[in-house]
Amino acid sequence: MNAHVPQQLTQAETSLIDAFGERQSLLPGDGEVMVRRDNAVEALKAGLPTKRIESWHYTNLRTLLPAVPGFDPSAAAKAVTPVIEDSTVVSVLNGASTAKFPTLEGVSFARLSDKLTDGSFAPALDLYGADDAIGALNTAFVADGVFVDIADGVELKKPIELQNVQAGGQSHVRLPVRVGKGAKAVIVERQTGEGTALTSSISQLTLDEGAEATWLIVQEQPETASHLAQFKAWIGKDAKLTLFFLNAGGKLVRQEVVVATKGEGADFKLRGVNLLAGDTHTDVTMVLDHAVPHTTSTEVIRNVVTGKARGVFQGRINVHQYAQKTDAKMACNTLLLSDDGEFSTKPELEIFADDVQCGHGATVTEIDHGHLFYLMARGIDEKTARGLLVKAFVAEVIEELEDEQIVETLEGKLDEWFATHG
Amino acid sequence: MPAVQETIDRVRKIDVDQYKYGFETTIETDKAPKGLSEDIIRFISEKKNEPDWMLEWRLEAYRRWLTLEEPTWARVDYPKIDFQDIHYYAAPKNQSGPKSLDEVDPELLKVYEKLGIPLKEQEILAGVQKEKAPVDGLSDEDASDNVYKSGRVAVDAVFDSVSVVTTFKEELAKAGVIFCSISEAIREHPELVKKYLGSVVPTSDNFYATLNSAVFTDGSFVFVPKGVRCPMELSTYFRINEKNTGQFERTLIIAEEGAYVSYLEGCTAPQRDENQLHAAVVELVALDDAEIKYSTVQNWYPGDAQGKGGIYNFVTKRGDCRGHRSKISWTQVETGSAITWKYPSCILRGDESQGNFYSIAVSNGYQQVDSGTKMIHLGKNTKSRIISKGIAAGFSQNTYRGQVSAHRKATNARNFTNCDSLLIGDQCGAHTVPYMEAKNATAKFEHEATTSKISEDQKFYVMQRGIPEEEAIALIVNGFVKDVIQELPMEFAVEAQKLIGISLEGSVG
Repeated sequence: MNAHVPQQLTQAETSLIDAFGERQSLLPGDGEVMVRRDNAVEALKAGLPTKRIESWHYTNLRTLLPAVPGFDPSAAAKAVTPVIEDSTVVSVLNGASTAKFPTLEGVSFARLSDKLTDGSFAPALDLYGADDAIGALNTAFVADGVFVDIADGVELKKPIELQNVQAGGQSHVRLPVRVGKGAKAVIVERQTGEGTALTSSISQLTLDEGAEATWLIVQEQPETASHLAQFKAWIGKDAKLTLFFLNAGGKLVRQEVVVATKGEGADFKLRGVNLLAGDTHTDVTMVLDHAVPHTTSTEVIRNVVTGKARGVFQGRINVHQYAQKTDAKMACNTLLLSDDGEFSTKPELEIFADDVQCGHGATVTEIDHGHLFYLMARGIDEKTARGLLVKAFVAEVIEELEDEQIVETLEGKLDEWFATHG
Repeated sequence: MPAVQETIDRVRKIDVDQYKYGFETTIETDKAPKGLSEDIIRFISEKKNEPDWMLEWRLEAYRRWLTLEEPTWARVDYPKIDFQDIHYYAAPKNQSGPKSLDEVDPELLKVYEKLGIPLKEQEILAGVQKEKAPVDGLSDEDASDNVYKSGRVAVDAVFDSVSVVTTFKEELAKAGVIFCSISEAIREHPELVKKYLGSVVPTSDNFYATLNSAVFTDGSFVFVPKGVRCPMELSTYFRINEKNTGQFERTLIIAEEGAYVSYLEGCTAPQRDENQLHAAVVELVALDDAEIKYSTVQNWYPGDAQGKGGIYNFVTKRGDCRGHRSKISWTQVETGSAITWKYPSCILRGDESQGNFYSIAVSNGYQQVDSGTKMIHLGKNTKSRIISKGIAAGFSQNTYRGQVSAHRKATNARNFTNCDSLLIGDQCGAHTVPYMEAKNATAKFEHEATTSKISEDQKFYVMQRGIPEEEAIALIVNGFVKDVIQELPMEFAVEAQKLIGISLEGSVG
């Protein structure tokens, strides 16, 4: 993970390595699973990534995560009400999946711990690159999670909400989901909790041919929690994925999005909102692989930075040599509202095919004075006017999701955030 | 049979390694033994008659260099360089500081003549067309085309490790401008060199800059005093001629309060199978209200069609807008080198200072380019603009890597970045890696980048008017890079346009 072996391990590194020694016998899975866990711990022993590792340039995990809370078996997290009414809720509380799953036609649920015990999940634990620190941390410690399989042709009427709730301590969770051929689903990934916690959570989504999915990540960790998350997706032929994320909490957050188009006609749409406040650090890092010809993607990220918050967006679009006719567009817009805040962005294009249309745009600015003047000239006081403009700036992205119920729910979340941080 | 002949000619022309400046010249040289050590540095320093403080400066840099590791973050791939297998000093023999052009080795003059660089002041002064003396390997037309037809340009010619001649020195001196080789400046103007050398690119800056600080052999020195507008364009031509040598030149340009100077730099090298190292450092200092325009046409030997040979170009260029309302512009046309690793940057320290970066990077064959800029906004109300056009053909990799940052106190920092890439063929790659870092709310950054190939519609439109495919592409490409070409001084613009044509030859089909 880190090419330069640090002289001395930090408290966080030592306690993670020690914790592995203590918990090793309690973790489900042996054989292939254990081999992968051992390799992952070896990577941890080389130290957490520093800014010398290019993909961690703006998030020096070694200094940002100097210490980690221990595993706390007494922590009692409770399931929360779903963000979208009538959703089918499946909860993972303090890193352990519920044992009783709801019955839903065409959908099967399973505890991930079972798949780890029988070893069938082992190949899915592989890291995606040498600097996959979140993958390594999670692989070493993952104990449970929920496995969801949506059968071919099933069109779900109601969303499924996968909740990961953590009340202090540490947890490492995986949420693998398969959406079968031609199936349709809306999935909400909810990341929340209370107290001082370290969570790592990896979602793995496979979309089979012609499948359509909308995946919403709603992250509202407390300002005392460190949250390291990964969303990985493989989009099959003619399949469509819309991913939306809302980051509205957490002390240290890194959300990685790793997506690959696997079949012609695959389409990926990413919309994201980062609402940053307080003395926090939030990093969204995306790696998108256009691996086959004729695939499309658009990404729009909107950030609002207040207080002493630091925000990062890194987005890399790789267009492989045979991925002709790729159409990829990425935009990252930031409203930097505080002189103590920071935002860094690195939108990368890596292109090996010639017959493509690729572009990216990035802006960082404050509120447009012309717009502000326009509103204030109409008798709206400055605070309200600013609020309106900021909200409009992020709401624009949410509205693109089209589904009325989803849009309303997410706008509700925006209002909640503005009420406490406005 | 003219049609057939024409086809044959065309086919012959379509060869990736149609490098015009690949000739080699036999000139007796005085070389340091291969390898790098404190002794070699003492040797270089002695050869240059340097004062002790300069030697100490070099040695300190060398000791620091020994502790550094070669950077690996750039998207370039090359076998490890053996730093002990290079001659760090090579100078044309019987050169004890020529007093006039007549004393310069005629072989050397021929080299520059072939390159089309005007070293003879009087000809230019009189505005006389260069005599059409046929030169080996170049047609009359080529030779005369390369001679600047208008305007006067003062030239400093650097051959391997030493500056051989500087023209128009006296006339410049009348205006108060100092234009000489850096070795001469170290001897004649030590107070200026001491004050500014290493003040923009410190000896410890990076691996290659540190190496350069230890072993640099020559380069240009420009000092434009307060309130002076330099009366003519200044220019340096770099030529690597010897085998197994590295060229490490150091350029220092200082524009005092309210001064203005425009400086051009050109580089070529012979065709060789081996890779040669070129690691230069350029430092610009602009005080209050000063303006420096720095233009480069980089045309080092890029290697042959199989990617064999070529120059490894690892360059550190940085401008310091030290004074209020100062302005620095970098304009570069990069067509040569097997590897380019180059990020001309601006430190916008003074309030209301401005930095510009205009770049065209053309890569063909197996060339690898990793180039871009850094705009560091420190002062209030600073502005920067980046226009970068990358064109990749053949099997080349072309990367734009740039950083724009605004610090806490850089209120109202403003940046606009536009980087476009054009891909010709499906075996090459174009990459964009911009870093944007805003640390205060009044900063306004905009960045846009696109990558595409030449649109079939555009090509069809041009070809339909009877223009052959290759010319059609050249025409479209020239349109694509127009924003940057416009920023070049006129004499250079013509040359740059031609270069782009040559570099892309053979990329069709």
